[in-house]
This record gives sequence, C-alpha cells and structure tokens, in this order.
Amino acid sequence: MPSDVAPDAHCDPRGGCITCGDVALPMAVRHIDAERGLALCEHEDGRRESVEIALVEPVAIGERLLVHAGTAIGRANADASTAIHGEGGAR
Amino acid sequence: MRFVEEFRDAALGRALAGEILAAVEPGRHYKLMEVCGGHTHSIYKYGIDDLLPANVELVHGPGCPVCVIPMGRVDDGIAIAHQPNVIFTCFGDMMRIPGSDGSLQDAKAAGADVRMVYSPLDALRIAKANPDRDVVFFAIGFETTAPSTALTLKRAKAEGVTNFLCMCNHVTIVPPLRALLDSPDLRLDGFIGPGHVSTVVGARPFQFIPADYGKPIVVAGFEPLDVLQAVHMILRQLAEGRCEVENQYSRVVPYDGNLRALEVLAEVFALRPHFEWRGMGFISQSGLRLSDAYADFDAELRYDVPGVRVADPKACQCGEVLKGVIKPWECKVFGTACTPERPIGTCMVSSEGACAAYYNFGRFAREREVV
Repeated sequence: MPSDVAPDAHCDPRGGCITCGDVALPMAVRHIDAERGLALCEHEDGRRESVEIALVEPVAIGERLLVHAGTAIGRANADASTAIHGEGGAR
Repeated sequence: MRFVEEFRDAALGRALAGEILAAVEPGRHYKLMEVCGGHTHSIYKYGIDDLLPANVELVHGPGCPVCVIPMGRVDDGIAIAHQPNVIFTCFGDMMRIPGSDGSLQDAKAAGADVRMVYSPLDALRIAKANPDRDVVFFAIGFETTAPSTALTLKRAKAEGVTNFLCMCNHVTIVPPLRALLDSPDLRLDGFIGPGHVSTVVGARPFQFIPADYGKPIVVAGFEPLDVLQAVHMILRQLAEGRCEVENQYSRVVPYDGNLRALEVLAEVFALRPHFEWRGMGFISQSGLRLSDAYADFDAELRYDVPGVRVADPKACQCGEVLKGVIKPWECKVFGTACTPERPIGTCMVSSEGACAAYYNFGRFAREREVV
C-alpha cells in the first residue's frame, strides 16, 4: 500500500473491498471537528477513522453513524431488536 | 456486538425459517431477486438459501458496483493511468477488473502510478500532497458511494485543489431494475431491496415496482435475519395478495432517504443520456457525469480516452448472471478458467459478485449435494 494512503484504510483486495461492496459499517462518534466537517469514529473492533459528517450533521459524541467510503450516510441508532421482533419495520 | 449479533441469532433464524415455510403455497414456485451484491454475499456466507423451502428461489441482481462496469470504461481508465504525470487512484476491487488488455493492476506493474484508496477523500489527500501531479479518482458505485465522491469534489472546489480529477462511473439503481422488469427473460415474484443504497435514496423510489409492475419489494438489511425476515415479508405480501414497498431495514433507512445527500448529488452530478452496463447494454439515464459546475474536475474532459465499446469475452456470461437468468455455476467458465485469483468476468472479482460469493461459500454446499 502506498505510504500516502491513510493508515486507517482497510480496503483489502484479497478479501474484497468493503467500499466496492456497498458495505456500510456502524461506527460511534468519539470526537468532532466541526470546523472541518469531520468526526473521529470508532468501529466495534476498536478501529478508528476520520469520517465526513456533512450529510448527517449535527452529530453528538457517542452517536452511531452508518459509514461508507469514509462518509457517514445515515444513522444507526434505533433499537435493533425491535426491528426483528416487531411488525417488520415502518413503511 | 450490538446491531450485529442480534441479527445472527440461530434460534430466531430457525423460527423465521418455520414462518417462511408456513407462508409458502405448496406447488407454487417463488422467484425472488436480491438486488444488491451485499445480500448475495450474505446469502452464500450464511447459507441462507439452505434455510428456505425448495420452492423459494433467490436470484442475484445487478447491484454489485464493480460487476456492472463495462470493459470499455476500464480501458478508458487505464489509458488515463498511463498518461505522464498522472497518479491514478481507485478502490481495491477495481484494480483487478480485466480490461481488454489487462487490469489496472497490470498497468501498475507496467509502470503506471496506480494507487488503491479506501475513500475519495484519500485520493484528495494524495492530490494535496502531490500538487505538481494530476490525481485522478476512478469513481464507481451506486447512490451509496456517490455522495462520498460528491462531498470530496465540493471539498476540492472549496479548498481550490485544481489537480484533483474524477473519472465518473457512478450509476443509479432504478433504471437497471426497470430494464430487468421489462426483460422477457425473467419472471420474478418480488424483490429484496438494496439496504445501503436506500439509506441515501430512501424506499420511495421503488414505488414504481408495485405500482407499474405489480410486484412486492422489501428493503432489507444485510445480516442473516434481515434477509430471512425480508423473504418472509415478501411471501406474506404475496399470500395476502398485496404488493407494496416495505422497509425491513428501518433502523437505518428513512422512507425518504437522506435529503441532504440527495441535494449534494443533484449539485455535483448530472444524468448521462445513457450508460453501458456490463452484460446489460446501454440503459437510459442510468449513469452520472460531473455537472457543468464541476467540469474543471472531469478527467474525461481533461484527457483523451478511447471511449470505445468493448464486447465482453465470449466465454464470460456475467450478463446473464447479473440479470439472474443463470446461476453462477451454470456459466461455462465458472471455477475453471474463471476464478477469484484469475477472473475473466467482473462477477468473479468483487466479494459481492455472485460468482465470487458462490465460489467462496456456496460451491461447498453444492458439492455435498452432488455427493
């Protein structure tokens, strides 16, 4: 990997690329840089990365965002268990 | 792990499988398409199809961003990568997509400066670190990824970065679905809708599927229970004679999508009159280019590219796989001439591609059946 790619990049051609695969990961906001429109977010496994938050602002520390290609495209805050046990989600 | 383990609960999975079995009408064959490659990956990884009754068939759709890139566009990218003074950046899977004369990985081996990035922001970072060179980002993906490219271009414009360029191959999900529904090749009973695309566009754009074609669609998440529940919701609609857009993935998908993301897409991109899809030909208004306001960042305007349509290799049946007409193992070169290590077709490259997903997970189950 070239040295000027972000050290937190985890695009692995051997195991498939999560960015190409339309995969979005829930990550928790740990630090907010409002001036630059970025947040330091943490995945469940402890991996951290800078995330563009322009599409979901304002965000709060501890909030869970859905992150794809370094950009938060939505929130992942609802109680997960209700979706499965409930009526199948809202329309 | 919250938001993940709840959706891999084996007991709940078995219960859902029982409910699915109770919802099917014996003697009727159900053909459901999972639109998104992420679902295909989950189905094979977790053996979801093994939990379904024999008369519920899942077919794979065109929603793998890498798989749908036609060979001619790869050739165009490679032509730009070989220009002097260019640093060419792309996502990992894109490096291995075969063009008519090798892949971007081969171009890199031949001396082109091709670099893998995780996000367009990484490419912009490279541009800022190399102000004397042009840094071209090969943008691919559906509406899930397009906002990231759009925000990066807005950032480049705001910061006055003039050596950052984009070769735009972003596509939209609705036109290929309409093309599939108009195709006489395929008889589908319902759709598992793409979860992460819908985070951006919402569930609303899929209303045409029940309204114009009388088929149900359920937008779904990517964990095994998400997919099983979506299958159950579709079967329940069919049993009750309903056809609607339902949202199983409401924990992240708002019905109207992310309005701010849609505004950014409308500002930075414009629809192309038509765009070629691997194996599916040209589809009207299905691809994005940079809008006139961002023309200075358009790599296709800065560099001459061949722009030639290149036919897929004769042996490759990615088109039929992408349309759900054949299963991966029915392709003539599957697992023999075409493997993830030496792919001929795009579907074998990305882990979300139906062929790669089946090669990595599904074929073992099939081998057991054969024995």
